[in-house]
Amino acid sequence: MNALFSSHLLTAVVFLPAAGAVLLLLFPESASKAAKWFAFAVAVLDFAVSLPLWTRFDAATPGFQFTEKASWVPSIGISYALGIDGISLVLILLTTLLTPVSLLFSVGHVEKSVRAFSISFLLLETGMLGSLAALDLALFYVFWEVMLVPMYFIIGIWGGARRIYAAMKFFLFTMAGSLLMFLAILYLAVQNRAMTGTWSFLLADLMKMELPGSTQAFLFFAFALAFAIKVPVFPLHTWLPDAHTEAPTAGSIILAGVLLKLGVYGYLRFALPLFPEAAMRYAPWLGVLGVIGVIYGAMVAYAQKDMKRLVAYSSVSHLGLVVIGVGAFTATALSGAVLQMVNHGLSTGALFLLVGVLYERRHTREISAYGGIAGIVPVTTALFLVATLSSIGLPGLNGFVGEFLVLVGTWSSAHRWWAVAAATGVILSAVYMLSLVQRVFWNPLVHEENRSLPEIRKTELVAASVLVVLMIWIGVRPNDVLSKIGPSVAAIQKSAYRSQAALK
Amino acid sequence: MSFVQFGPDDLASIAPEILLAAMGGILVLLDAFAPSTRRWFASLSLAGIAGSLYFLAKAPVGTSFGGHYDTSALSLAVGLFLGATAAIAVLVAKPYLARNGEEKGEFYALLLWGHLGVSLMTRGLDLLIVFIGLETLSLSFYVLASFFRRIEASSEAGLKYFLTGAFGSAFTLYGIAFLFGKSGSVLVSSFAQPGLARDPLVTLALLLLLVGFGFKMSLAPFHAWAPDVYQGMPTPAVAYLSVAPKGASLVVLYRVLSAVFQEGMPDRFRAGVAALAILSMTLGNVVALAQRDVKRLLAYSGIAHMGYVTIALAVFGSESLAAVIVYFFAYLVSNAGAFAAVAAFYRDETKPHPIGLLAGEGRRSPFRAAILSLCFFSLAGIPATAGFIGKFFVFRAAIERGLYALAIIGVLNSLVSIGYYLKVVYVLYMRESVEPEGPPPLAIADRLALGICAAGILFLGIFPSGLWSLAVSAAHALPFSPP
Repeated sequence: MNALFSSHLLTAVVFLPAAGAVLLLLFPESASKAAKWFAFAVAVLDFAVSLPLWTRFDAATPGFQFTEKASWVPSIGISYALGIDGISLVLILLTTLLTPVSLLFSVGHVEKSVRAFSISFLLLETGMLGSLAALDLALFYVFWEVMLVPMYFIIGIWGGARRIYAAMKFFLFTMAGSLLMFLAILYLAVQNRAMTGTWSFLLADLMKMELPGSTQAFLFFAFALAFAIKVPVFPLHTWLPDAHTEAPTAGSIILAGVLLKLGVYGYLRFALPLFPEAAMRYAPWLGVLGVIGVIYGAMVAYAQKDMKRLVAYSSVSHLGLVVIGVGAFTATALSGAVLQMVNHGLSTGALFLLVGVLYERRHTREISAYGGIAGIVPVTTALFLVATLSSIGLPGLNGFVGEFLVLVGTWSSAHRWWAVAAATGVILSAVYMLSLVQRVFWNPLVHEENRSLPEIRKTELVAASVLVVLMIWIGVRPNDVLSKIGPSVAAIQKSAYRSQAALK
Repeated sequence: MSFVQFGPDDLASIAPEILLAAMGGILVLLDAFAPSTRRWFASLSLAGIAGSLYFLAKAPVGTSFGGHYDTSALSLAVGLFLGATAAIAVLVAKPYLARNGEEKGEFYALLLWGHLGVSLMTRGLDLLIVFIGLETLSLSFYVLASFFRRIEASSEAGLKYFLTGAFGSAFTLYGIAFLFGKSGSVLVSSFAQPGLARDPLVTLALLLLLVGFGFKMSLAPFHAWAPDVYQGMPTPAVAYLSVAPKGASLVVLYRVLSAVFQEGMPDRFRAGVAALAILSMTLGNVVALAQRDVKRLLAYSGIAHMGYVTIALAVFGSESLAAVIVYFFAYLVSNAGAFAAVAAFYRDETKPHPIGLLAGEGRRSPFRAAILSLCFFSLAGIPATAGFIGKFFVFRAAIERGLYALAIIGVLNSLVSIGYYLKVVYVLYMRESVEPEGPPPLAIADRLALGICAAGILFLGIFPSGLWSLAVSAAHALPFSPP
């Protein structure tokens, strides 16, 4: 039993939430409290099950670990292939961590159709984890698309005032990108069949194909579009402020914390290794879009009057920095980009959570409705401040490490001026975030109703503290995480350069 | 002609159809002379369908009636598809008719006879048998369309279906006549003559058949009848009509085309079929966006789906036929499931079926709402549902043949379709209910039909291997030339 469990550890991590969702169906509709805590328990259990991935992961071995492979649809060559490297490892742990955090926050706040909410959330977790672990393109696509359905319900049913519009926009934007990727996946499989005579959707098999440059460009474009929408890269970002603002707090945490990263992850895992030549050729464009994203996102964020929208636009800016790191493609910049994904998940997750705390008490997200509440809710203020400082990259907290690596790595690449622009973005992030803190927590107290603002609840406090502890941990000991990421990033980089050299 | 003499093997091969005809007759007689047996009609119909499938499985493989009638892996696979559709229609019909106080034998009898007609179409190797099947189907469904004869919309549906049906049949017959004139026979196998494919009159004949069967498939631009007819026809009958005859028509087209196009489909013909596919997908999806009646929405969605599946016809060849078979099994569970849910949601058949009436049902009727949503996600082609598998094979076939533009237009159309499928899901879950009175209680037969469709959607979506093998072996029954 134990051996079976160890050899199928990834399967257990991926499908435990889905199994929990199925069990939730057996709960009576009225047992909403039980459903909440059950879902939370399942998510915590999944986190516990995912911990051995971290402890048993061997950073020294290149390639995928914890691999599993079984034939799924043998007649058409689709296999159930899972495996992780350092990049997927950190993102999987981020997912298994943020899901219970979000559910813990929701325990006190989701009142409508709780059972359905819990089921959606757990299915979403399986979709995210599956996307991060899949090594077969067809399997990846299934997980990637299945994620949309629970997220659509989470935004559409439990969201804010303009939730329907936001949910629909989210669904259509994401789908638009992935449908072309679907055709590109089919094309790859068809080409592979023509060359080898067998059907396969395995990443390892499809990577071996040497496609002519023009074909690569088309396919790369199809993949990159799907991932760029998800990140989102400017100018494909317009779905994000709507989706993040209208989603319920838990949904925003997951959207910002994990879903956006899947875009960058997909690019690193699939687009780059499959089409190295095209990826290297178009990387400068990606970097330029990243630069625009950093500065544009920051400036728009500064202009927002809605707290949640501000944090949402800050995501556009922060993800722009990650995209710059990927575009620069030096080992340091790539490591920084991956670490920055984790950092952004923690800090923005915490910010959304704390904005949610305020929103649940005042039912407004207008910045001008607050002010001077630092003395009334000191714990909330302190937590918010830490998350803000992490977000703007204060040394000693996690954000600094990631941003610094991206900047240094980009400076040493061929695109030095990107680093200049990215550094501007870092400064701008301090401008909009600190002014947000200033306007919400300090400034004179003008609204009388804020005088009786209740302090953060125990469940909320636990959820937020977990994130804050991790921010400090990564800030102080970044090497714990970087050592897992480094070899995998180097492997991706090496294989891309190698195939580029082979083509020359 | 060899028609006149037949032996026990011939009888065994047509036993499935004989049983259907007889069961229909028995039901009409029972209705007239023993009305107290009415509550058994649905069970008897199901028994008839099951028995007919049993005889089909037992029938000796090969041709019968001197090469005019087919028993092959293809007719078996298609027979299974048709029988499943009919069974779901019967399950939906029982509570539906009871709710409307119309639990009459002729409904089941006409459904079985229509089903008999569709079976003849798919098994006939002789275009006259195909035509007789087509007319048997049409005549039965003309009556079924106006089954609620006191409701204006139903009478309208009957008349519209009759007029366009007659029009379509004329095209079909004209095409058959040309083929007969050029080949000297109505036997499909006799069309496999060298040089026949290049004859302009034969091309004309094939185009006429494409138009005639295009009407039955509700392929744009021959689709105009579908929304009105679906709206007025009893929903269980629509569940059958919107699935089975469409699949059968495509099988007939494949039969004829595979015989004529010995050297593959000529490019100009392919361009014509591709144009029909594009028109049907685009028109169906765009117009569906504007629909407010759920049955009309499903009609336009069906027009779009016939466009997707016509992509496979443009690809042509054995693998594409297998893709079509998979597509129709997927379409069966999704589309018939959607109609089953619609039948269970609306109480009053004298009125239209506005989508708005479904508001808030996600909470009030969670089982129905969940299955209707699942059916719509499947129709939209979301992975892990049957609908995705259908599209997977069709688009893969298109890419293998190098029809990239067609595949790209196809996926862009899927994107458009999400707009209206999600609209219904949104109404179900994200709007507050407007009707004080909920939908009628679910009968066991409703639960069964919905449960079977949902299970089918998920099972085929997650484990499509068996179905694909079945479809591949079925497709080998037709003599496609190697590409």
